[in-house]
Amino acid sequence: MKKILFVFLTLLAFALSACIFDSDETVMAGWLSDQGIPSGYKVQTLSVGDLTPVSSEVFLDSAPKLANDRAVLGKTANISHDLVFDIAFYDSVFLADLQKSDSASAYLVLYTLKPFYSSKTFPADSLPLEEDLTLTVSWKLDKGPSKSFVDSIARISDSLWLSGLAKWKPDTSADTTVSLSISAKDTVLRIGIPSGLVSAMKGLTRACRLQLRLSAPEASRAYRFYGAGTAYYPKLWVTLPEDKTYSEYDPFRMAHIISNKETCTDCAVLHGGVYDSLVVEYESAPIMKALSDFYGDEFPYAESNGDDVRQTVVLAQMTFSRDDSQGTNELGLPIQVVVGSYVDKDGESERQMEAYKLNKKLIASKGHPNMVFYDGDSLTLQVTYGLRDFINRARDGRTFKMMMRLGYPVLQDKDSTYSDHTVGKDTSYVFFSHFDHARYDFSSSMKQPSTLKLWLANKRGDK
Amino acid sequence: MKKIIFALLAFAVCSSASIIGLDALGEEQVAGGMASTAGRGYAGGAKTGDAEGISVLNPARNAFDTKVVFNVNFLLEMVALEKHGDNFGVNNITMPSFNLSFPMGSFGAMGVALWQSYSSNIDEEVSEGNNSVETTIEYQSSIYEIVPNYTFRLPVIRNFSVGASAHVVMGNLTRRISMGPDTDELSSDDTWAVSRTEISDYVDGTWEIKHHPAYYTAALQYRGHQSSFYFSYTTPHTLLNKLDYNFRMSELDTLAPTKKSREIEVPALLAAGMNFRFMKRNNVMLDMAARGWDKDIENVGGSFNMDRSTETQKDMLVALGFQRDGSPLFYDPYLDRITYRLGGWYKTWYVKDVYELGGSLGAGFPLGRKGTTLDLSFQGGKRFADSGRAWEELFFGFRIGLMGVGTWGQNR
Repeated sequence: MKKILFVFLTLLAFALSACIFDSDETVMAGWLSDQGIPSGYKVQTLSVGDLTPVSSEVFLDSAPKLANDRAVLGKTANISHDLVFDIAFYDSVFLADLQKSDSASAYLVLYTLKPFYSSKTFPADSLPLEEDLTLTVSWKLDKGPSKSFVDSIARISDSLWLSGLAKWKPDTSADTTVSLSISAKDTVLRIGIPSGLVSAMKGLTRACRLQLRLSAPEASRAYRFYGAGTAYYPKLWVTLPEDKTYSEYDPFRMAHIISNKETCTDCAVLHGGVYDSLVVEYESAPIMKALSDFYGDEFPYAESNGDDVRQTVVLAQMTFSRDDSQGTNELGLPIQVVVGSYVDKDGESERQMEAYKLNKKLIASKGHPNMVFYDGDSLTLQVTYGLRDFINRARDGRTFKMMMRLGYPVLQDKDSTYSDHTVGKDTSYVFFSHFDHARYDFSSSMKQPSTLKLWLANKRGDK
Repeated sequence: MKKIIFALLAFAVCSSASIIGLDALGEEQVAGGMASTAGRGYAGGAKTGDAEGISVLNPARNAFDTKVVFNVNFLLEMVALEKHGDNFGVNNITMPSFNLSFPMGSFGAMGVALWQSYSSNIDEEVSEGNNSVETTIEYQSSIYEIVPNYTFRLPVIRNFSVGASAHVVMGNLTRRISMGPDTDELSSDDTWAVSRTEISDYVDGTWEIKHHPAYYTAALQYRGHQSSFYFSYTTPHTLLNKLDYNFRMSELDTLAPTKKSREIEVPALLAAGMNFRFMKRNNVMLDMAARGWDKDIENVGGSFNMDRSTETQKDMLVALGFQRDGSPLFYDPYLDRITYRLGGWYKTWYVKDVYELGGSLGAGFPLGRKGTTLDLSFQGGKRFADSGRAWEELFFGFRIGLMGVGTWGQNR
């Protein structure tokens, strides 16, 4: 009885509160206003012009990378691309026959990357691709006594193998020439293995490990093939004509090694399809002065611990001048420029990739502003996270640092979804899923003044 | 009962009570916010007896207890704010105090209370104009005190007791004001950059006493045959509120905070009370407390056009109450075993030009024969505000207290 009475009284109290004290949002808004709290944070824009970087530096990661999916061989955009195949097998019977053979030969088969060359995006008028390709074949051959030797090779981690490739010291090497012609969608490239390697293989008895490297530093372009982890993996064929027999060996992994052939060390050149980046650094003073002039306050913030929360950056974008004539590309498509900034994480400067907020009205009329090889003469990149952190912590005298690199080719330059999406039963692709091995020289852009535009949310009161 | 208590706690997560002084200290829980005391208009600090428990203003009272007393309190408060005929309502459920006292015979008595002395609570959302993002204002500030006390009756004059308590202060504060953009100063070509963007002005911090572990209360109590009196003095102290001010785009996207501290000088508190018993079980009681604030209180503020400080005034309470004690005999009629309470109070807040007038009605329902009591009290009144920013408040409070009386440690 007492519990029922208690519950009843509680419910009665809530009911009374609902009836008597009905909240009115307009009235509540009036109360907020009386407390000095506005209905929205005030946003203002500020443009800071004539910014020139104190430094712009290109970093290229030339460490070997796995190429089990897609493989690139040749040279383009002043970058040469080598391939390394890791092959290990136990085959005592065939190796015994190979030892006795006088006319043994071997060749390597690579399958061209069909989704790339057969794509509607690939410029069809550029096919067939024909070239007498001069290849340097180098190798390291290790003998093994048993199957356990092959197993031990498989247990070598990819990362360990890749780091070893950075100091590649082959047993020997030989040059060969291949007449290459990519005219059909499923072209096979057959590369003859130098006789020196075949002779060396005759010395094998039971098991071996062959690390084979192909280089084509004089190639007129880079060619794309399937990697070791695909259905169209490369194959090493060893044939014994007199016995009318052969054996096929498959690489269980592949590596891609690039070499930078750029001659201008001071140029701000970015390449597509490789891990390089252009890091641009701006000094603090012009941005602080513009903020100080705008707000009439001292910048950087000098009170308390110096971290400035008087305002925050809602969005920031940096606009550079652009001259596409200094670049080359394969596909003739615009290429997105991917942006990151350096922000403070637990006292350490860390690169954070930037978000991209869509200006749909602008995109519909003029296309995305963050592309090169496109109409117009400017490049606008959003650097919100970076500027937010920079202004927040400018007290310590830090510079503003951003990073850019070439991203994927853009198929729909005026699509404001900016991601692949479904239209009916079809998928609408915004980006081409293969990198363009393009070369873009930002040197002139870095010498021209750029403009920073800030959208700032402010919590200062009325003065 | 357990289910009801859990339900009350669940409701307590989204709440707001008085929002006067929200940016300063918040609302004070007078006299520990005990349901039994509130039922008689916050009077009765001098009333002794096993059914009274600890008084945070009078640490000498429980020297006369002979049994262990456990007491927990809940408060449901509904507040209607009003200005120029406009009003809106908020409500709050909280647990203002939790008390435990142990009598030790010739060695006096000791006890401990957990008291939410001040709190700021509001969590409201407002949709305004054509802004697609709702404005949310959230304050969660609690100054909690752990109050151990010790008291004993004087050796010769056994009608007198002296007691002292230490108030160890702790607590935290969170303020979040989330809102969408005001694009009035943007050109139409620039509004895309801030669409659907919500930013939170965020402050969080902690409460403690500056340069000291606690502040203290000392009290003297007289218990006569019919009349009882007490007088207490609470030391002045400085509250230190360390705060981190921030802007948050999301939980994971925040600025590095600006750190600030505010110091609030709380003056000494003088309290006194009397209780007069007549016709065996009827009591009238009068209590007074005063604290002479002489400095403004720095606000949390720090954003937009919010005030930097709150002006103060002398904080005073005058409480008058009546209580008819229930019969302790379990075989008496149940209505005769119920304790009936009635009271009223006048209080000036620490916030300048804010006055409170209230009345209350309460009852203590005995549960079983072991001395457990369920105290209920209903309070109503008005807080008059004459300052520009504070709105007047019409309040209605409902308090529940659970009092357990036992003889732990006394059996042989």
